[in-house]
Amino acid sequence: MKAFALIPVQTLAEAARESARPNTAIKAGGVDLVDRMKEGLDHPERVVSIAGIKGFDHISAGPPAHIGALATLARIAADAGVRRIYPALAAAAEEAATPQIRNMATLGGNLCQRPRCWYYRLSDFDCRKKGGNDCFAHEGENRFHAIFDTDEICVCVHPSATGAALLAYGATLQTVTPTGKRSLPIDKFFTGPNPDPTRENLLGPGEIVAAVTIPAPGPGARSAYKKLKEKESFDWPLVEACVALRLEGGAIRDPRVVLGHVAQVPWRSAEAEKVLAGGAPSEALFARAAEAALAGAKPLAQNAYKVRLAKVSLVRALREATA
Amino acid sequence: MSDDPRSGFTRRDLVRGALVGAVAAKVAPAAEPKGPAALGPGVERLTLDINGQTHELFVEPRVVLVDALREGLGLTGTKVVCGRGACGACTVLVDGAIACSCLMLAHEARGKKITTIEGLAADGRLSPVQEAFVAADALQCGFCTSGMLMSCHALLERPGRPTRDEIREAVAGNLCRCGTYPHVFDAVERAAGLRAAHEQPAEPRMALVRTSPGDLLAPDDRVDEALALLPGSEGGLG
Amino acid sequence: MSSEDVRLGFNGNFESKKIDIAPGDPAPWDPSRKFRLLGTRIPRLDGRAKASGEARYSIDVRLPGLLYGRILRCPHPAATVEEVDLSAARKMPGVKATLVLLDRGGIARFAGQEVAALAADSPEHAEDALAAIRVRYKARPFVVDSEAARKAGAPLVFEGETQTKSSAGDMPGARKALPRTGNVQGPRAFEKGNVEEGFRRADAVVQGTYVTQVQTHTALETHGLVAQWEGDELTIWASTQGISGVRDDLARELGIPASKVRVHCQYMGGGFGAKFGARVEGIAAAKLAREASAPVKLFLDRKEEQLATGNRPASRQWIRAGATKDGKLTALHLVVHGNGGTNGNTGTSAPLKNIYACDNVKTEEFDVFTNAGPSTAMRAPGHPQGAFALEATMDELAAKIGMDPLEFRMKNDPSAVRREEFRIGAEKIGWKDRDSRRAGKDPSIRRGVGMGAAVWYNTGGTGYRASVAIHRDGSAEVDHGLQDLGTGSRTMVAIVAAEELGLPLDRVSVRIGDTALPTGPESGGSTTTPSSAPTIRAAAFRARARVAEAVSKSWKVPPEDVAAAADGSDGFTAKSDASKKISWKDACALLPEEGITAMAERAPNHEDAWKRFTAGAQFAEVEVDTETGQVRVQRVVAVHDCGLVVNALTTESQIQGGVLQGISYALYENRVLDRATGKMVNPNVEQYKILGSKDTPEIETIVLPVYDGVNNTHSVGIGEPSTVPTAAAVANAVSHAIGARISSLPITPEAVLEAVDRARGGRA
Repeated sequence: MKAFALIPVQTLAEAARESARPNTAIKAGGVDLVDRMKEGLDHPERVVSIAGIKGFDHISAGPPAHIGALATLARIAADAGVRRIYPALAAAAEEAATPQIRNMATLGGNLCQRPRCWYYRLSDFDCRKKGGNDCFAHEGENRFHAIFDTDEICVCVHPSATGAALLAYGATLQTVTPTGKRSLPIDKFFTGPNPDPTRENLLGPGEIVAAVTIPAPGPGARSAYKKLKEKESFDWPLVEACVALRLEGGAIRDPRVVLGHVAQVPWRSAEAEKVLAGGAPSEALFARAAEAALAGAKPLAQNAYKVRLAKVSLVRALREATA
Repeated sequence: MSDDPRSGFTRRDLVRGALVGAVAAKVAPAAEPKGPAALGPGVERLTLDINGQTHELFVEPRVVLVDALREGLGLTGTKVVCGRGACGACTVLVDGAIACSCLMLAHEARGKKITTIEGLAADGRLSPVQEAFVAADALQCGFCTSGMLMSCHALLERPGRPTRDEIREAVAGNLCRCGTYPHVFDAVERAAGLRAAHEQPAEPRMALVRTSPGDLLAPDDRVDEALALLPGSEGGLG
Repeated sequence: MSSEDVRLGFNGNFESKKIDIAPGDPAPWDPSRKFRLLGTRIPRLDGRAKASGEARYSIDVRLPGLLYGRILRCPHPAATVEEVDLSAARKMPGVKATLVLLDRGGIARFAGQEVAALAADSPEHAEDALAAIRVRYKARPFVVDSEAARKAGAPLVFEGETQTKSSAGDMPGARKALPRTGNVQGPRAFEKGNVEEGFRRADAVVQGTYVTQVQTHTALETHGLVAQWEGDELTIWASTQGISGVRDDLARELGIPASKVRVHCQYMGGGFGAKFGARVEGIAAAKLAREASAPVKLFLDRKEEQLATGNRPASRQWIRAGATKDGKLTALHLVVHGNGGTNGNTGTSAPLKNIYACDNVKTEEFDVFTNAGPSTAMRAPGHPQGAFALEATMDELAAKIGMDPLEFRMKNDPSAVRREEFRIGAEKIGWKDRDSRRAGKDPSIRRGVGMGAAVWYNTGGTGYRASVAIHRDGSAEVDHGLQDLGTGSRTMVAIVAAEELGLPLDRVSVRIGDTALPTGPESGGSTTTPSSAPTIRAAAFRARARVAEAVSKSWKVPPEDVAAAADGSDGFTAKSDASKKISWKDACALLPEEGITAMAERAPNHEDAWKRFTAGAQFAEVEVDTETGQVRVQRVVAVHDCGLVVNALTTESQIQGGVLQGISYALYENRVLDRATGKMVNPNVEQYKILGSKDTPEIETIVLPVYDGVNNTHSVGIGEPSTVPTAAAVANAVSHAIGARISSLPITPEAVLEAVDRARGGRA
């Protein structure tokens, strides 16, 4: 890790001002940033620490829910209200990483973390995500990479489990910028690699996620999160699925279907939602939804299995949500 | 990768800055108010509360907590295995919650209560879970043991008797290469059993998770209050 | 040399055999012997130190003025070094010494090979300075894929002479020179009987190709050491499996007498075969310390550990086997291409040659070189991969002749011990109704049970030394220069001494981990206990004899008249006069003021005893999700023979560890190299996946006491046999669950799904 100046700030206003300077990184829990700095992927001259800012680690399950960006994954997972009202978010937080990391990692950090693509994560590969000219995964070792948009210039997958859950719930991010603040619907937060593969979200310069609001679930709301991993202890998902919907008179209403670890962004499937909307829950319907969700998948040389796994995870999430 | 940070701002700098948000505007704000005090990049004085004692040391901001403990203070019971938060060997308690000391900056541990493996024994007497580890042979090479014990200690601070699955979950972030897990499970069950046998009926204990002063206020108000301090607002929150 | 009758055998069946006993060595224990300590469950002596964080590992050593060493590594899989420029690095703050490890013209053969080193006054300064070293490389053509490396015209890993490294952990005979064509070296050939004839006699023949991956040791403490010079004397604190090997390497490399090098290793964080000798980093640390006139600590980080410290080589094994319809093996033929990167010695034939009885056996072992980190000995070199292919073949062959796989093995296994282990294990796992358990309530979940056999070797080394000192207060001190890798060898030493002396454990102090002590074994090949335990016993035996001698003088009776007290206490009595009794404590008070010290040297193995292979059997029960391909191991039954167990508790720990490493190998671990750039993409413990707590099944361990008489304690090591059959048993269980053969490791979800489809008849 290269030497840097540490700037602990007490307010978000300070943070936004400080982070607007060149060669500056923002640090909350630090689990992702320090990891990247140790590998030499990032070498900021200044690190602005927002970890000590008061008032942004609150969790209010509402509904509607209001969760500070500094709330840790452990606290979100343990919050009784979140578990009851937004179970998919609680599950996504609970099943992420390790107990130690969940105590350190914040919601904001989880949403803004960089991908786990092994080419990106090693200083040895000057890949497009680092501003280089190649995507090594395209023709390389891509077991864990994207199955959608694989003709894109970068085929990593987005790592955020809470991102998938919040997208399914239609959450809104509250952010601060050097000059103000804004509300950013999560649908407009994540972005693919084109035209700029070095970013995964559309936060503006100096913009910081302050809090997340999640709308109150409508009547008959159900949701579920399912992930599939190779091993059960600390492993990144091979695929994950998150669904939020309402059951009304035996029919599915307002379904929102999100697949994780299948694309450069948490992948919302309008195709699956269309199949599900108005239908009565059944294995046949779930299977059709899964087929529709994955119809557009174009797996890479080593990850066709993920198409199958994504279907299974979606069916299982639907099964759980509608049980 | 040749990338001189002094060569000016590039798009890559912007990306590097992102954690809780992408950062770094190309245009530095004019007539900036005096910013908060920066630490470093050289060595800075730091006092840490470790195992109930105050320690003073001088380290650069880039030094992570485990290196400050081991190299700076000679508290070598805490180990480094991966250095990247993937193995749990460096697990310590920070204000009562387990954390990876390899990913925590030493200067950011200021003001927090740090407990390391050296702090589990009291007056030279091993804690019940430490004793149980020895008795059940829940250690082989012993290099994961410190971190494993911190996780088990935190688990046993919670009320109730943990199930085997809860023990599995509690140490899911602690990698052991010798394969001590079965004996770790036995040891924790043994320690929990001892505790249950000796303990008076259910006195509520601190839960694992931390709360902050902000939690005492209505959260929404608190956020609005914080955001209201910012200049130039556009639209409300929530 | 005296000749004595000893009773040998197991499970209540013993036969008398006359064996030669070396002078001063006790005869192997008789099966009727009741032990006070040996074979019981004894918490390790250093458990407290480890559980409290007080244990000082070599990586924990702190010295005044300590410098921190770092190594610069070649980023290319193959390159010629054109220039190493250390001038800028030397000017960096805090830098005290620099060193070129691969000079101009030198060829780096894998990404991660050592090029230069430096030492600075803080880890931060060392890191900064490392970035200031300038190296100019000329990239060379390279190949990292084993199949590609075998093709004609592939880039040559070695253009001239093959340069491989041997290790004290290698299998015997591995260092034989072999012919090489292109990147392929070999074969190491073995033939017994006539396989063609054997196949002609067979009623059924099966053949298959089995592929295994590279597994890295991933010991938690990385490689490294601390080096300190005082004048011309060098003191080392190393993380090593062999303190004496580190000493000898350093003396040779630095051109100093071995007597000037002292190596310590009190605690070490695991080795699994990769920590022998001083290695590049050790020699670099000693040289940097000499240049800087200050102690240097040089330990690798995790990435370096994954790239450059060794691994279990990959293999591609073609195997053909034949049997008669009544279940007799008639022929076994194995052709293996192992890939150990820049190292050879990748054979896998030992299980095939040493487990089942077969008159016609042929094995041909080839080493394929690639531009990848070199393999080295890893926990039972060649055996887990060999057992995986062999045991799959046994299942396939049993199926082909319509015989139960357990029965088929029973018919072909010449080891009475293993047949008994098969019987015990089969009962515990519920082998009989394994078919009826395959389908459960959840239609996507299938269960399966599989088995595998272990083989290992039961000979410790000879010539090691130990001393046992007895003080006048009756307490004892044992000095023995071996190291404890975490296996519990420190405790083993104490138990054997206390058992022989008749003392409680807390009256025996043990000193190990220092080359200044009488030389003990390096810890490889599961030879530590069978080398050390008999040495310790012999020294304690002699020490006790010296105490008895003092008693005989005091009683004025001949020495042979003094015997152990009949009441089972620790004292003595006179055979001729039962009224003469003396306690151990009082007897020791008769010793001269300085007490006594007895030395012993490990006697040769009793080649005339029941020399045999060590046997083990493991059974695994798995759950397979046929929709996702996920495999969860539910239960493992591990039945092993490790001669006579010294400490049942630490033996159980070690067996559990062998099983868990075997499951991890079977399901998760895999070094992945990017073929285009030749670099490892998962040099960590996150994407190099290792089993964790939630992947740990219930493990039942059963140890069968065997009195083989090869040494005076009947000791046999258990570290390696306990991991030999696990992957085989897991793979066979998965194959049983889904009804299709798993023929490659690791057993990934996609491999399982492919097999599931095959079982269903080729659905895409």
